[in-house]
Amino acid sequence: MSSNEHSISLRVNGREVSAEAPARMHAADFLRHRLGLTGTHVGCEQGVCGMCTILLDGEAVKSCLLLAMQLEGADVRTVESLAEDDRLSDLQAAFKKRHALQCGFCTPGFLMLATGLKSSGRKFSRDEIRGELSGVLCRCTGYDGIVRAVEDYLGDGEAVG
Amino acid sequence: MSAVAAQRSLIGASLPRKEDDRLLRGDGCFTDDVQSAHQLEMAVGRCPFPHAEIRGLDVSPALALAGVEHILTGADVRALSAPLTVLRPVPGAPELPYYALAGERAIHEGQPVVSVVATSRALAEDALELIDIDYEPLPHVTDTLQALAEDAPVLHPGVLDSNLLARHEDRAGVPEERMAEADIVVGERFRINRVTAMAMEGRGVVARWRPGARQLSVYASTQTPHLLRHQLAESLRLDEGCIRVAASDVGGGFGQKLGIYPEDLLAALHAMALGRPVKWIEDRLEYFRASTHAREAVFDFAIGARTDGEISAITNRYTTDLGAWNSSFGSAQLSSVVFTGPYKLADAVAERRVAVTNKTPIGAYRGYGQPEVNFAREVLIDRLARRLGLDALEFRERNMLRPEDLPWKTPSGAVYDSGDYVKTLRMAGEAVGYAAHRAAPRRADGDGRLKGIGFASFVERTGYASARFLANRGSIFGAHESVTLRANRSGDIDLYTGVSTFGQGSETAFAQICAEILAVDYESIHVHAGDTASSPLNTGAFASRTLIAAAGAIREAADELRGKALRIAAWVLETAPEALEVSGQVVRLRDDHSRSLALSDIFTRAIIGQGIPPEETPGLEASAHYAPDEAAFSFGTAAAVVAADPESGEFSVDRLVMVHDCGTAVNPLLVEGQVLGGLVQGLGAALSEDLIYDPDTGQLVSGSMLDYFMPTAADVPPIELLHSEIPSPVTSFGERGVGEVGTIPPAAALANALCDALSEFGVELSRLPLTPESVWRALKNAKGANP
Repeated sequence: MSSNEHSISLRVNGREVSAEAPARMHAADFLRHRLGLTGTHVGCEQGVCGMCTILLDGEAVKSCLLLAMQLEGADVRTVESLAEDDRLSDLQAAFKKRHALQCGFCTPGFLMLATGLKSSGRKFSRDEIRGELSGVLCRCTGYDGIVRAVEDYLGDGEAVG
Repeated sequence: MSAVAAQRSLIGASLPRKEDDRLLRGDGCFTDDVQSAHQLEMAVGRCPFPHAEIRGLDVSPALALAGVEHILTGADVRALSAPLTVLRPVPGAPELPYYALAGERAIHEGQPVVSVVATSRALAEDALELIDIDYEPLPHVTDTLQALAEDAPVLHPGVLDSNLLARHEDRAGVPEERMAEADIVVGERFRINRVTAMAMEGRGVVARWRPGARQLSVYASTQTPHLLRHQLAESLRLDEGCIRVAASDVGGGFGQKLGIYPEDLLAALHAMALGRPVKWIEDRLEYFRASTHAREAVFDFAIGARTDGEISAITNRYTTDLGAWNSSFGSAQLSSVVFTGPYKLADAVAERRVAVTNKTPIGAYRGYGQPEVNFAREVLIDRLARRLGLDALEFRERNMLRPEDLPWKTPSGAVYDSGDYVKTLRMAGEAVGYAAHRAAPRRADGDGRLKGIGFASFVERTGYASARFLANRGSIFGAHESVTLRANRSGDIDLYTGVSTFGQGSETAFAQICAEILAVDYESIHVHAGDTASSPLNTGAFASRTLIAAAGAIREAADELRGKALRIAAWVLETAPEALEVSGQVVRLRDDHSRSLALSDIFTRAIIGQGIPPEETPGLEASAHYAPDEAAFSFGTAAAVVAADPESGEFSVDRLVMVHDCGTAVNPLLVEGQVLGGLVQGLGAALSEDLIYDPDTGQLVSGSMLDYFMPTAADVPPIELLHSEIPSPVTSFGERGVGEVGTIPPAAALANALCDALSEFGVELSRLPLTPESVWRALKNAKGANP
């Protein structure tokens, strides 16, 4: 390890982990290439596309805009935490049912963003969902399936507002 | 329900996608997820000027940096490899030798000049900073038409004496005479914006060379593994047998990931020099300059008609912008094929000129010339209707081909197979309440906005009309798809295809067709996609052709495999194959279900060659190649409803309706997803996406995600999809291609809706994208012309 590597300890998907990272490495690269959690994707590295969205202490954030070292002591959730054993979570199942993914590259970003919305406990209208989801880009689906899947998940299948 | 009837329901069923579970769990395998032991990473230094002489290049300070392993320059690349080859050359054009790194001159911003491999991408980028390159900027040209002016700098001297790469004409009848005789002719210059496909995963490649085995393994984000393998072999001067290309999950393609790019070759060259795996992952800023752009063209389009509303001729003279080089698929060619659309006329000409400019090369992108020419024609159809005092919808209907006119050979030579074009027009009109809109007095709403409705009809070429057609157009690939089916001892089927998975759902659709023909469970089909080491040679996924061609191959292979399995079962059960049926993973007597044999039993017998009829050979595997004889033409009409402010030019898109016929839908869920996704891409290109080059500096000024506005979830208006399902007579199951259609009509429908809303001001729109500013300028022009 070269001298500019720093040790980082954090909680990821419920497990305490510790790994080294260069000072300039961003958090998405750290999760992917140092912790092997390749479900978090990188699409622009300037905070626009949202592929790299994770939950940081319960908040949805774009991990390409954080340095790995900012994760010290944090509680992080990534897409790998959603399914239990072989069973998709309700959110994942809603995406499957609504054909809310095609190439699947953006999907982890939307899933983590929606997980964050759910944990906020708020109710969202369809327009508000569309607004919230504009933080992650998708080029395949045209968004309709994603909006419906998230609506299913947040409102237990019924539109609200 | 009989087993046969139950199985029949597989085609046409919205089955859950095979691809979904792994992608939903973050367990896809995209290129950057491939991690090899002892892997190194590559970064590419790119020319910052649109046109520059490279006078010198000193890599020694970079080589001295700890962690830097290898550097390639233009001179190295010329010594080690041949130029990149082109899959779809421009017919009649000379070759423009294109090496992976620039030599003495670079001719677009972002052209690769030097590449560095180091222990990490970050270190490789540090090394690039240390490389001193002596550039001498040269005069440049970025405008498509100015590139053809006499005083423009010639970008490929020695090969061309101007920037006109080629000129090509498709004609039928006597269009010039018909134009001269026409009661009215409307013509306009239309400018189509330069856009990019914007796959969420950029390109990427991991190359590994084992010198002892002479094996190059390449993982790449590509739509065409077998074609990439062929092109790598050509440029590396290696036998194809030394190369394996695999694409597991690809994060979007849309035509942009067809064929070889310089970085594919560079990663291979570094890996071969070092004997270690080399990874390159395109970053988004590189993407905007290094991955092919699309669409940009200037159309001089004219339509002649009689006063009674019959179209008599079309002339379509256009210049398409190639950018600096001919990329693998070059510039779009279909603007010369479908330019007469769904209309019945015999006299038409399309003249295509291809211009070279100091910009990123143009390549294939969803629609490939069809959205461009659709905009020109359909906007002009409306304008002509207004001049004639005819209703835009009635004018279209009057001139449309009728079902009984088909098959119809268009002036371009394309043969429309079947369809009911008028029906889609009427459906669109009804869906948006056009009759009521026409009848109602034109009044502004509370915001002072005026409502407008616009239509755009289209016919889309999907699939290729045989390899013969492709040969005539100079393409270096076939029209076929292929598949290998292999029974396994679990009683399941392994399906091997060279079609990589990039969101189109081919794993799902292929499994549906295969399960249907074999009468086995959908879950028992295991699709293995995109690896040249295991799949039969194929063409690749583009041109809305994959399912059309693959369906035929799957049917042939499945019939062969099924025939042998039933012969073995009949021998064991002492009956005739015709007396058997497959159901629930067993083969049984149709008349006596108690006499049956599990598929796992039959497959095991065949695989080990024990307990099979003496005349049968061991093994249970079938491969088939299938090329359709004809292209299938999908068709439809889109309608847009807008509200526009006649003062500011601001507008909202309130509704978008798409009536579309893709023949038999193998999986309606996938069809909707393809059409909707394409529509939103078409919407982005129509309203906001624009790759703008500053004419003075030649720099791309909208080359980041912050400056290039692809639609977000909040930007998409309500969209309704309506289907007509007329099976095509030229495909295996009556299907037509569906991958690109959504991109074709939105721009024209929106422009026509805006012109309808602002008709009292005489607004005319002729360039893309359609922005509030462009509408405001059109209003200003119209008011200037009609004070």
